[in-house]
Formats: sequence, structure tokens, C-alpha cells
Amino acid sequence: MKNTLFIAVYFISFSCLAQNDSLVNQLDVVLIQADKKLDKHSAGYKVERLNDSVIEKNIESFSNLLRFNAPIYLREYGAGGTSSASFRGTSASNTAVIWNGININSINNGQTGFNSLTVSLFDAIDIRSGGGSLEYGSGAIGGTIHLNDNLEFSSKSQTKNQAIASIGSYETYRGIYKLKVSQNKLAINAGISYNQSENDYPWLGTAFKNTNGAYQNLGINISGAFLISQASKLKLYTANYWGERFFSGELPNPTSANDKYQDLSNRNLLIYTNNQQRFNHEVKLAYLTQEYRYFENKAIEAYNFGSSRQFLINYNVSYALPNLNASISSYSEYESAYGKTDRIDERNRRQFSQSFIYDQNIKGAVFLDAKIRKDFNSDYEVPFTYALGVKAKATQQLFVRANGSKNFRVPTYNDLFWPGQGNLDLKPETASQVEFGVGFKNNQFSIDIGSFFIHAKDKIVWTPSGDPERPGIWVPINISDVKNKGVELVLHYKANFNKHAVQIDLNYSYTEAIDSETNKQVIFVPKHLANLNMGYSYKRFSFFFQQLFNGEVYTTESNSNDFIVPHYFVSNTGLDYRLLNGAKQQLSLGVKVNNLFDTYYVIQPRRPMPNRNFNLNINYKF
Amino acid sequence: MKMNSLITKCLFLALICLTSCSDDDEIIVVPKGDYENGLIISGEGSGAGTGSISFVSNDLSESENLIYKKVNNVELGTFLQSIAFDDDSAYIIVDNANTITVVDRYTFEFKNEIIVNLSTPRFMTVVGDKGYVTNWGSTSDDKDDFIAVVDLQTFAVDKTISVGNGPERIIAKDGKLYVSHKGAFTNNNIVSVITISTEEVEEITVKDKPDELFFNDAGDLVVLSEGRTLYDANWNVTGHTLASISTIDVSTLVIDTALDFELGAHPSLMVLDDNTIYYALGNDIFAMDADATVLPGASLLAAEGYLYGMAVGGNRIYATNASFTDVSTLNIYDLASQDKIDTKEIALGASKIYFN
Repeated sequence: MKNTLFIAVYFISFSCLAQNDSLVNQLDVVLIQADKKLDKHSAGYKVERLNDSVIEKNIESFSNLLRFNAPIYLREYGAGGTSSASFRGTSASNTAVIWNGININSINNGQTGFNSLTVSLFDAIDIRSGGGSLEYGSGAIGGTIHLNDNLEFSSKSQTKNQAIASIGSYETYRGIYKLKVSQNKLAINAGISYNQSENDYPWLGTAFKNTNGAYQNLGINISGAFLISQASKLKLYTANYWGERFFSGELPNPTSANDKYQDLSNRNLLIYTNNQQRFNHEVKLAYLTQEYRYFENKAIEAYNFGSSRQFLINYNVSYALPNLNASISSYSEYESAYGKTDRIDERNRRQFSQSFIYDQNIKGAVFLDAKIRKDFNSDYEVPFTYALGVKAKATQQLFVRANGSKNFRVPTYNDLFWPGQGNLDLKPETASQVEFGVGFKNNQFSIDIGSFFIHAKDKIVWTPSGDPERPGIWVPINISDVKNKGVELVLHYKANFNKHAVQIDLNYSYTEAIDSETNKQVIFVPKHLANLNMGYSYKRFSFFFQQLFNGEVYTTESNSNDFIVPHYFVSNTGLDYRLLNGAKQQLSLGVKVNNLFDTYYVIQPRRPMPNRNFNLNINYKF
Repeated sequence: MKMNSLITKCLFLALICLTSCSDDDEIIVVPKGDYENGLIISGEGSGAGTGSISFVSNDLSESENLIYKKVNNVELGTFLQSIAFDDDSAYIIVDNANTITVVDRYTFEFKNEIIVNLSTPRFMTVVGDKGYVTNWGSTSDDKDDFIAVVDLQTFAVDKTISVGNGPERIIAKDGKLYVSHKGAFTNNNIVSVITISTEEVEEITVKDKPDELFFNDAGDLVVLSEGRTLYDANWNVTGHTLASISTIDVSTLVIDTALDFELGAHPSLMVLDDNTIYYALGNDIFAMDADATVLPGASLLAAEGYLYGMAVGGNRIYATNASFTDVSTLNIYDLASQDKIDTKEIALGASKIYFN
């Protein structure tokens, strides 16, 4: 008990030092996180947390979860198909996905497939808008999405189980089981999730169904933490995923589609921490593998593939300066990545990075992070990067925040080595950005209005005119120069009136992303993007309504009105009833209606998205 | 545009009728549709937009994009590979969609579609009431390539004729089909000759990657082979194979003349007009007599941008400057002076030009 208390006090004081609107801990429970950087070094940034109850409402896909809850544009090739995400008008490879502090974007294409991950097993998903290369490396330009496992030490041993099962339209079945064991010195989380769907929804206004769109996937995550001594802990995380999807066809003839795609990933992370009074040490070892297989014809065994292995070793040390109310941290990381595809022989890329971060808390009113980083890469020069974040409280409730950073995205293996087309002379894309925001927060209501400006240079673009010696051959070059600016609004409201509880969450963003050469909006960047979530609960009933507005996007550089994807509105709603509402056991039954108004919409041209569909679910905690 | 121009044309027709009646002229020319007397240009489309068709009138006064979409309010999809024509219909071939869309060739109104039993269809030719369509089959199988025989009354694939890897262009003459095998996702070096009545397939070996083919005024088959670029295991360029323009006597299936290009040159886009052969090397367009025994030394003109489609006719050279991220440009040159006469904005990924 004494140990735990110490750690709890320590942790709380630590997060106070870092000053985040974070984690409310009961004194007898200690929350253990793999990635402390996010909480410690996000002064001046906007970080939105999607907790498990939000995640459970959108378990059908990571794409849908983000689309309805985050200020992010998701580009999805039909429901369940290839999917990518972008922040603030940047490109898909400018969004980094961070698993327990480790960047997991593919080294082959620099992106994460947002339908090739199961996120329902994670305890929290944090979305940080703004550049994060300093902490998270390549690709963290528009923003970062953090998938976190939260382990807990508890003074009283406890075991929590949760099972969710759902059945939906188009033969969709999902099941999740999560186990959480919390003890004095030991914490274990384990989870398994399985999804499958025929996904053959009728295409509104046509005689076709979504053909060849079926999918199934299995995710197994296990993590654990062990308290070795008062000062030291060992943490282990693994996440495994296997998925098989068929790629649906498009109009005018969806029946022609017969391709298949498989994803396999295995991620392992071991962390040792040692916290002394002034020095905190952390050593991380990670081993990550990813593989995809693309079957051009599902009836034929032959496939194209890409696979990678990454080894990471990381040593972090921070030194507290209590007199100054400050700390200095050093992060050293060595990474060795092996990547290959059926057309690229295995290549090894080695990278070392060193960064320093200085945190300062001035009288509990001003919080400041100053960060610098330098990378050394075996393949190309990576520029020196830096970042500064400040948050200042004008009153207890009113604050202003600002940040500025320089970020980068390295060329992918495909960019560099694609046979006959890859370009070994590529250099990393770089982007400088600044952001300024004001916010207000009290117990019921919070609002944050921010404006951002990003200037991206040397963006890597594949073009048939990239090599003057070889017109017509598509090659990647550093060419594009884009300036993004925009405004973002986030609003949360929460209130209880007797037995009635109301919650409202709203995101709105306006984005201009202008290519400096054409002076036009960059393709597939909606100017307007908004989502709204409203929840209401009364006694054992709870009701929610989600609304998405996605503005029109251009698909050609000249912004031709002949080639656009029109704007769309989509709404979902659901009702839950709690059958059991005890301290030990809770059982709820729910019904959800997706695309309530049966709206025809497309995200990619000629690929209609699902019409109105239903889902019944049961959620049992014991 | 459609309704308005129809009304205009009706009025115009009435006028002509009135005037011609007074002239005692009995011949009345009835317009067959909006898209007569001009160029039909197909664009392949890309991730930036659908495959589409543009129209440019012969007098260059009118041009219109996305004509199929405007008439029928649906998109053709990607990638629009080619169009075949008979007297009344145009057959629009979209390879990734395994679809041939049949439209009225002058109004572009939808008539029918063929969506089964095609597998990466490329080009088609019409003989009588049958269409013959080259198909690549699956990427991962170079033995499943075929010619689909389409009944143009029922729009069903009646049967298939198995052929070598990567059949591309197809033309017909005197009961036989002539197919160039560029080699699909790999390479090939044959021209298939198929006797329609017996389905017997004979092969002529030519230089690597044969693509465009046609008959010259002497009745010989002319084939452009582009030649290959060779790579090592790490995809470094290690060499080339020869490109050539072969002239084949179809009675004996023997190559009469083969005009080889210098090693490393990879010509493309060969067309015939007025018994003159035109082809492109990079952006340079060359012209030579169909009976020439040596390749020309100097080019006729250098086209602008990304030369991806070419046609010669009516004393003009039409060259597309293709964009796959945006609308493309059609550059029109006077054949005699090589001066640029005009430019038009045309379909995204503009590739093939047809006279309608």
C-alpha cells in the first residue's frame, strides 16, 4: 500500500508538473502508461481523448471511429476498403499512428491503413493535432493518433472482465473480450477481438450490391506491468493482428472486382523504468513486423507482398529541477528497419535520433516545452527539427496556447526503391507550422478555438514528368510546396439534471490547403469538416446521436468542377438499456442505426457507402 | 447543352429544309447526333477522375468534355482503354471494370453493356454482327489471355479464343483477325493471325512489344514493335532490345521489311494517313512513306508536354498532352506547316483519338 501510494503521489505530482488536463486517479489506483511523452510534452497542443465508451460506440472500424469523433478527414475506398486519414489538409502520409509511443506507419508506403487495425481493444485513443516529428519521428506532420493500453496497479487485487457481442446488417458479427487484472505489484490486460462481415450492402439507386467487400479480422493484445521495486517497473506490450479483406468493386461494374488483401502485424514492446528522486531512466526495446499480401485474383494463389521488420532501442533520461519547477529530458533512439516487397529486395535502413526536451512550469500558470531533435539516417539527410509549445492560464478557466514546430516525413521504401521508378535522390519532406489557440474550461463546458498555418516543402509527388530523361515514366520527386491554414473548433458540454445527463461534443474545421504552383486547393482536402455527438441518459436508458458533415472535395489539381466528390451528411443513432447496473456486474443491451436517413454518399467516386443499417449489441462487464 | 443544341439543330434543320425546298433540292442531311463530324477522344481516367470522352468538332468551334456522363448521368470508370465503332454504335472498353459500354456513336446515349466474361479487355474490332475483344486475363497468369467473341445482337460473350500472352490491338481483314501481343504486364513478341471461320491461330514472330498495327495501301500488315528495356535483378537498366516497324505479307505471313530503330530507341503511337506512317519517339513525331526502306532522319515536329495519343487526318496532326491528375490538352498542328492551330481542354488521361 505504501509503495503504491508513493507511486500514486509521485505520478500525480508528475502529471501536474507536466500540466495536463489529464488523468484523475483515485489514490489507490495507479495508472501505468507506456508513452509518457504525450502527457508530458504537449503544452500548447490540442489533444483530444477518445475513451472506451466512445470507442465502444464505433467498433465497426477505426475509420468510422475517427470520422465521427475527430477533426480528421478519412478517405475510404468503400466501407471496409483501403482507408487513410489526414489532419488539417495534409496528406495521408503526414499522419502518424503511434502505438504505446512507437510510430507504426508502414515503412513501405509511409502510411497506416485505418481499416487494417483493430482499435476496440485499446483503452484510450488520443488525437493530437499538430506536428510531432520531434517526439514521434517521420510522418508526424499533420498530427498524431495514439493507441494506448492503460494498465493499473491497485492496492486491492481486482479482476475485471468485459465482453461485447454484436450482430448487424449484412451478416456482420463482432465479438470482444477484455480482461484486466490489477494487483499491488502486477497489472495485466488481455483482449481478443474478432470481426466478420459479408459487407454486401445494396448500393442506393443502382441494381448492384457492394460486391467482393467481405472482411474478417482477429486482434489479440496482451500487456503487463510488474513493479520490481519501489523505483523500478517492467512493462511489456504486444499487439497482434490478422485481417483478410476483399476489395470491393466500383461503378459501373462492381462485379468485376475479385481482389483480396491480407494484413499481418505483430508488435512487441518492453520497457524498463527506474525513477529516482531527480533522475528518471527509461529503456525501451521494440520489435515490430508487418506484412501485407495482395491477391489480384482471389481464386489464384499468387500474390504481391510487402513486409518489414523493425528493431528499436531507446534510452530516455530526465532530470528534474525542482527549484525551477522544470525538467530536462533526453531521448536517444536507434532503429534498424528491414523492408522488402515482391519487387524490392530487402533493404536495411538505420537511423539514430537524439532529442532534448525542456519543460518549465512557471507558477502553475505558464507551461512551456522546448524541444530539439537531430536524426542521422543511413539513406538520406534528415533536417534538424525543433518545437516549442506554450500554454498560459489567464484565469483558472481561461487559457491561451501556442506551438510551433518543424517536422518531416522521410521517403518510403516504395519512393526510394520501386523498381525502375524509385528515386534515390529524394530528400525528406519538411513542414514548418505554427498554431495559436484560446480556450475556456470549467466542470461542464469546454471550448477551444485554434488557428494553424503549415508550410510544407519538398513534398514527394509521383508524376509522369518527374524525370526529364524519361517522360511518361512515373517517378517520385520532391516538388510540391503547399501552404495550409485553417481554423478548428472543439466544444464539449456535459451536465446532469437530477437523473438526466446530457453530453455534447462538437468538432468543426475550416481548411485551406493551397498548392503554391497552381494556387488551387489540394485534391481531396475538404474545406469544411464537422462532427457532432450528442448523448442523453436517464436512469438506465441512454441515447446518442452522431452527425457528420464532410465538405466537397476536388480531385483534380485545377479544381475542375467536373471532378469533385460532393459534400455529404451522415447520421447515426443508438439506444442502450442497462439490464444490470450493479457495482460488480453491468449488462446493457443496445441498438444502433447507422446512416439513419438512408443517405446516398460516396467518399471515393463511384463507390457508394452503406445505406441505413442496424446493429444489436450486448455489453457485459463483470 | 444537349437539349439546347438539339433545339438549335432542329431550327437549323427547319431553316435548311425551307431554303433547300425553295432550291428544289431533295437531299436533306439529317444530323445523326451532337457528336457527329468531329473527333472522339477517350481519356483513361485515374484516381483523380473517371475515364471519360471528349468531343471536338471538325471545324474546332465546339468542344465538350465528359460527353457520356452528360448524356447518361453516370461515369464510365477506370481505365477507359479504347473505343471500337460500327455503323451505329460505339463500344467503350473500360479495362479495370471489365466492361464494354455500348452507346449510339453519334448521340452517345447508352444502349447496352457487357459486364460478364471479360477479363481486362483492351481493344475490340467489329466483323459483321460480332465483336472481337482482346483480353489480358489475370495479372498473375500469362496463359489465360483470350479473344472474347461478343454477339452484338444479344451483347453476350458467345465464346472465347485462347491466344498467347498480352493481346493488345486487334484489326480484321478478309475473314481474319490480326492481333499484336505487346505482352500485358510482361513482354511478348508475336502477332496472332486468327481465321474467324475455323478459329485457327497462327503466330508471326516480330520484334519485342508489338503494339499499333494496320494495313497499308498495298495490303500489307504494318506493325510497330516498341522494343524492351532490360533490367537486372535490382531493376537497374542493363540494356535494350530493338524496336522495329515490320511490314508483313499476309498471304505468306513473312516479314517483307523490318526497319529497325537504333538500340535504346522505343517508338510508339504509330498511325497511317494517306499512305504515310507517323510515329513518335519521346515527344518527336516522325513521318515516312509507307513504302520507305529507311527510317527518317529528322522529325516532323516536337509535340508539347506528355505525348500520349496521336492522330493524323484532314491535313492536321492531333497530339494529346496527357495529364493523369487533371484535364489534358489536345494540341492541333497543321500537317503542312507544322504550326499549332489550336488547343483544346480534353479528357483526363487523354489517350485515343477517333474520327467520327
